[in-house]
Amino acid sequence: MNRHAMMKKLAAAKFALWEIHLYLDTHPEDITMIAAYKKYEAKYALLLHEYEDKYGAINIHDAHGVEWLKDPWPWDGKVCD
Amino acid sequence: MLQYPVNIKNPNPKYAQIIISQYGGPDGELGASLRYLSQRFSMPYPELKGLLTDIGVEELGHLEMIGAIVYQLTRNLSYDEIKKSGFDVYFVDHTTGVYPTAASGFPYTAASMQSKGDLIADLTEDLAAEQKARVTYDNILRLVDDPDVREPIKFLREREVVHFQRFGEGLRLATDRLDSKNFYICNPSFDDNCGCKCNK
Repeated sequence: MNRHAMMKKLAAAKFALWEIHLYLDTHPEDITMIAAYKKYEAKYALLLHEYEDKYGAINIHDAHGVEWLKDPWPWDGKVCD
Repeated sequence: MLQYPVNIKNPNPKYAQIIISQYGGPDGELGASLRYLSQRFSMPYPELKGLLTDIGVEELGHLEMIGAIVYQLTRNLSYDEIKKSGFDVYFVDHTTGVYPTAASGFPYTAASMQSKGDLIADLTEDLAAEQKARVTYDNILRLVDDPDVREPIKFLREREVVHFQRFGEGLRLATDRLDSKNFYICNPSFDDNCGCKCNK
């Protein structure tokens, strides 16, 4: 999988998390969805790890240096590997 | 969590009416955030993209702090306090909701900021913006006695000074990559082959 495809998967996983997060704002007692959140969180962590191993940190908490200053920026659109 | 704690014991609608200007006024945190988060797209150098992203986000945190200050200053008000303090002119339109407005009542407007698509113009505006916000905080400190309010305001004032310093360094980084005989010979935010795009 190339960088762009991996980023797309990562963004999809992050979006799934966000969608559940939003749902939980109005359904805080839905334990099924709280469990689903945990499940997707683990999935996201796995994808994130895979991406960062290959292309470096996208999140300051996982950075070793000042990787956030490196291209591409979120607003750059599709870039070559 | 807030970047710096806000715990105000005594409500004071007059203070709220003054401090709301840093929420939605001409040199307020909303305008600051929108200015930097908009300008960053056309910035040509990674340090500047990073700087504008980071300061823009920090300003959103400051917007939240100002909102918290206004909220805490307007809790449990009596009608008498509302009328006597002059807060009634805000109350009639917004009750005690937090609304982005200048202290004068002029609603938030993007007319007090610019995104020019030229890094020297934009960074120079940012330097001025930080100083204008610093002066507004200085003026708030002239008018407010309560230490519960002063402490977070003093913190925010200091952040303006730090941001001014960082923007100064950003402008220096930018001009170092331009033609020292004429910084304005081209616009690195727009023209290709203008200045050094390398990350050195």
